[in-house]
Amino acid sequence: MQGFSDGGADLGQLQTTMRNIEVACTSIQMHINPAAAEATILSLSQSPQPYMACRFILENSQVPNARFQAAAAIRDAAIREWSSLSTEERRSLISFCLCFVMQHASSPEGYVLAKVSSVAAQLMKRGWLDFTEAEKETFFYQVNQAILGAHGIDVQFIGVNFLESLVSEFSPSTSSAMGLPREFHEQCRTSLELNYLKMFYCWARDAALSVTNKIIEPNAVIPEVKVCTAALRLMLQILNWEFRNDTTSMKAGIDVFSAGVRHDNGSSKRSECVLVQPGPAWFDVLISSGHVSWLLGLYAALRQKFSREEPYFLLWIDPPDVVSKAIEEGKSESEMLDGCRALLSIATATTPFVFDQLLKAIRPCGTLSLLSTLMCEVVKVLMTNNTDEETWSWEARDILLDTWTILLVPTDGSGGDALLPPEGKHAAANLFSMIVESELKVASASVTNDDGDSDYLQASISAMDERLSSYALIARAAIDVTIPLLTRLFSERFARLHQGRGIIDPTETLEELYSLLLITGHVLADEGEGETPLVPTAIKTHFADIAEAEKHPVVVLSGSIIRFAEQSMDPEVRATVFSPRLMEAVIWFLARWSHTYLMPLEETNCLSNDYQQHHSVNSKKALLSFFGEHNQGQVVLDIIVRISVMTLVSYPGEKDLQGLTCHHLLHTLVRRKTICYQLVSLESWRNLANAFTNEKSLFLLSSANQRSLAQTLVLSASGLRNSETANQYVKGLMAHMTTYLVELSNRSDLKSVAHQPDIIMSVSCLLERLRGAASAAGPRRQRAMYEIGISVMNPVLHLLEVYKDESAVVYLLLKFIVDWVDGQISYLESRETAAVIDFCMRLLQLYSSHNIGKISISLSSTLLSEAKTEKYKDLRALLQLLSSLCSKDLVDFSSDSVEAAGINISQVVFFGLHIVTPLISLELLKYPKLCHDYFSLLSHILEVYPETLAQLNSEAFVHIIGTLDFGLHHQDLEVVDMCLGALKALAAYNYREICAGKTGLVSAGLGNLPEGIFSRFLRSLLQLLLFEDYSPDLVSAAADALLPLILCEQGLYQKLGNELIERQTNPALKSRLANALHSLTSSNHLSSRLDRVNYQRFRKNLNSFLNWQNKRNGWFRFLWSFLNFSMHLEALLLVV
Amino acid sequence: MSDEEHHFESKADAGASKTYPQQAGTIRKNGYIVIKNRPCKVVEVSTSKTGKHGHAKCHFVAIDIFTAKKLEDIVPSSHNCDVPHVNRTDYQLIDISEDGFVSLLTDSGDTKDDLRLPTDEALLKQIKDGFAEGKDLVVSVMSAMGEEQICALKDIGPK
Repeated sequence: MQGFSDGGADLGQLQTTMRNIEVACTSIQMHINPAAAEATILSLSQSPQPYMACRFILENSQVPNARFQAAAAIRDAAIREWSSLSTEERRSLISFCLCFVMQHASSPEGYVLAKVSSVAAQLMKRGWLDFTEAEKETFFYQVNQAILGAHGIDVQFIGVNFLESLVSEFSPSTSSAMGLPREFHEQCRTSLELNYLKMFYCWARDAALSVTNKIIEPNAVIPEVKVCTAALRLMLQILNWEFRNDTTSMKAGIDVFSAGVRHDNGSSKRSECVLVQPGPAWFDVLISSGHVSWLLGLYAALRQKFSREEPYFLLWIDPPDVVSKAIEEGKSESEMLDGCRALLSIATATTPFVFDQLLKAIRPCGTLSLLSTLMCEVVKVLMTNNTDEETWSWEARDILLDTWTILLVPTDGSGGDALLPPEGKHAAANLFSMIVESELKVASASVTNDDGDSDYLQASISAMDERLSSYALIARAAIDVTIPLLTRLFSERFARLHQGRGIIDPTETLEELYSLLLITGHVLADEGEGETPLVPTAIKTHFADIAEAEKHPVVVLSGSIIRFAEQSMDPEVRATVFSPRLMEAVIWFLARWSHTYLMPLEETNCLSNDYQQHHSVNSKKALLSFFGEHNQGQVVLDIIVRISVMTLVSYPGEKDLQGLTCHHLLHTLVRRKTICYQLVSLESWRNLANAFTNEKSLFLLSSANQRSLAQTLVLSASGLRNSETANQYVKGLMAHMTTYLVELSNRSDLKSVAHQPDIIMSVSCLLERLRGAASAAGPRRQRAMYEIGISVMNPVLHLLEVYKDESAVVYLLLKFIVDWVDGQISYLESRETAAVIDFCMRLLQLYSSHNIGKISISLSSTLLSEAKTEKYKDLRALLQLLSSLCSKDLVDFSSDSVEAAGINISQVVFFGLHIVTPLISLELLKYPKLCHDYFSLLSHILEVYPETLAQLNSEAFVHIIGTLDFGLHHQDLEVVDMCLGALKALAAYNYREICAGKTGLVSAGLGNLPEGIFSRFLRSLLQLLLFEDYSPDLVSAAADALLPLILCEQGLYQKLGNELIERQTNPALKSRLANALHSLTSSNHLSSRLDRVNYQRFRKNLNSFLNWQNKRNGWFRFLWSFLNFSMHLEALLLVV
Repeated sequence: MSDEEHHFESKADAGASKTYPQQAGTIRKNGYIVIKNRPCKVVEVSTSKTGKHGHAKCHFVAIDIFTAKKLEDIVPSSHNCDVPHVNRTDYQLIDISEDGFVSLLTDSGDTKDDLRLPTDEALLKQIKDGFAEGKDLVVSVMSAMGEEQICALKDIGPK
């Protein structure tokens, strides 16, 4: 394909070029041979100095697409050749683009203009740091003239448009790539922000102002609107700029502005609200110039023009009842929503107190009251027309709820809740009771709509959760009213259930209780998110006048719910009242509640701190100690455990409920030591352990619950005072499993019975339990778990043999061993380690012998892909096993070192890898997790034990090297990074060996590779760095790998470098390339040692080399394809 | 069939029973289940409730292990489902006959000649190609509810 260079262009040639491009553009549009057309267009932008041709096309072509492509070509070529263009050429390109858009401002093809405009902006940025101020002035004078409207509306629009592209080019998140270091973009950004941004803003504002009057005139649509819109868009864009250079020195002058302004943005919001933060320097422009009032005026005027409405936000929302009624009667709701948003914005910028005061001057009551009344109205509307559609009231509720959340979320970091003035408390209380009323109504109404769509349900639960935490904030703001309210609501419903039992259908009441339990759980306790939640401050600090613990409102409320929950123990009541769904809410509530209130840690602190004043018990202490160890705590704990056992036994097949019990409730209990001490002495807990070993129904729990239950029971052993009893306890729990597995594996008819479904189920169930128990191993229980593991080693191998085609069982077996080894390995003495390692190797070999060379045959593609997924999961487990074994070298608590017993972990792991790698095909490495595990293990092994690689046989070696090469070209950054790490380790090891006069890796029996591995990697790494797309984050890691590679293969490196230089035809470039390559290996006093300093120097060198090289990229790619081609040719010749 | 027959301690010949009852809630993905009297492998399980405050039910999507047809079923999770007894036996492949049958060598040294080759072209090719290359092949034969089919091939080295 011929290029489109300008060299000696005459008119004829330019016209030919234009025609070619036009034809290409048309054929792309009509899908005629698009590849060739694209190539034509590409060759325009890739040819050197195509500017003349491009200008010609822009000015003369009748095909808009061709003009568009020409503009793009200018951009590509200029960015590429920028450094070799003269200042004059650079300037003329930009002014050409600017003049072009101005002259063609009225052209109907807006996209061409936008493109040219953005090309101008990009070129301007490219030269930003080179141009003098005067040069920039010239450009901006032109733009300013346009924006002032001197040349008409269209040009004005174009001017604003250009600034918009310019600002977005300079903002890092929207800038286009230029192949330059990040510093460049940062410098441009800072320069624009400090010197120009404000000016642009003023221009845009002036432009908008200049057309406002015309827009407000009650005429039909006029072209000025376009300018105004563009100007407003630009202003918004500038205000959304991420300001960095906050000059705090100015702050003293504007105290008025910052009074009552909060600087937190912690809470997550459902509705969007952007806080503008341009910094104090903008004060004069934004605030004092009074253009906010202009903007409001404009808004009002526009409203008036298009819908004739009153303009002030208060009028949109006040009085609330009238407004909501009007909306329901068909009036537009957008003003009302805007008013809500205004409240939200105000709340974001003020404290609750300031917020409340805002309207005191013009209204009798505070803003909080208004907010409360407004939201009550919204909730009322929600209640009356309860539909699934998202109406305006949904949106209004969400915005207002956000407003409350922002006002009430604790801001000082101490966890203290914001204090409201009394009137505000009253407002919050009113609102909360309205909210509860509406939630209850929604709940009882929802009984009839039975949509079993679980996906939808899941989504609404998480939205619900967020909403509930906002409700909780409101409730806590008026806690002394809301807790008694909740207590009353509960008791009404309990009574209703009791009276109506067997007579009235209780479903509505059940659903109401479900809602109430969720709300109350949120009000009383926080989630904790992995930490131990404390009693909410509002609850701790209120109710000071209550001295008797039994009368503390929180105790009363909690007590009534627990007593209600206890009724579920009665089979008759359970059948009529405690549906699985209600029980789920009960269990959820108990878990959340007990995490905060049951035997709290604070209790002990509280008691020890002021023991002297024990007789003057304040309410806080009363609350904390009421459910403590020495008071009602044990009774309540017993009730909770009995309820848990009951849900596991008496709700067969209710996976969700049982999952909540196992993962949520029981897990919460055993996480705290104080509770564990009590648990192990409880009769009910012993019953649970008993049921676990003997009860048939507990064998029917789902696998995850099975595992979790085993884990929980083992963890509770931490409540036993010494490790001997703890070990005894664990053994007692697990004995039934080991006995069963040992007996089963010894049966002579194992082969024939093993595949009976009932046997498979028992085996799976026991393996799940073993796995759960193994994952709960801790220092105290380690002995018992070790012995259990040892006793089932042989059965495990037997079962692996028998179930080799039963993938589900195989996976369980592997996972159990993985978890068990992971928990044990660091504690084991050397003799035990030897036994475990020996066992793991047998396991690996057995697995490998079953699976290597095996092909599944099935008609069903689903089943085939399932089989592949199963394989992947198995292999991942095996890799995890090897990683755990590896860790023995790093973390070892045993008394003697493993070397003493003659174990070499590295050999063991390599042997394992040897067994596993043939099973890991490149196909399977496409599973991201497997790929990740594999390469992290591989890079770890190669970094720590590079010497053992030499001991692998050549087949395994080639396989590992092959996967490394695969990983080097992977898309995942981390994978490439790990591969580079591995490569660095290998090459560095090799170099050191050679320096020490040894043979190194290459000649250690691995010479049968077509070329040395290091020369191969040197070549592929250079190829990657010079000619492929890669993330700049990888450069350091690549430098670390490249240095030892170069040192290992200096000859080849020289040769490759020379070849690159030789192919260069341009003598100037040739010498520059030679210089660059030379300084890569010689500047910064780079030596041939492999120490930290030297690595750092090389990183620096490579960085500067790549920066230089990036500019030449086009050339290099071209050269490299030549080079590769010639290498293939050489290889071909050799073969012949 | 009575439950007694399915019990763990039952005599060896009880193992010949074709299906076993198992609580629906305990059947998991990758397990087996009988739907419409066909042995299937479960590829998807989901649970939902019957009405707001009703009991859980399981929704199974499964694939017939012999015909690859997709079947679905909904069962209350505390009820029992039938689970097929799926067995796999490995045989060495001796010969492939012209009429579409394979000749297999059992553990006891006898031959088994009553198994048809798969009719699906692709599968047939996989087996025939491997055999033609002179590899030593072991075939896994899956049997359930009175049907059997080759389900896997394994190359145990050149002949």
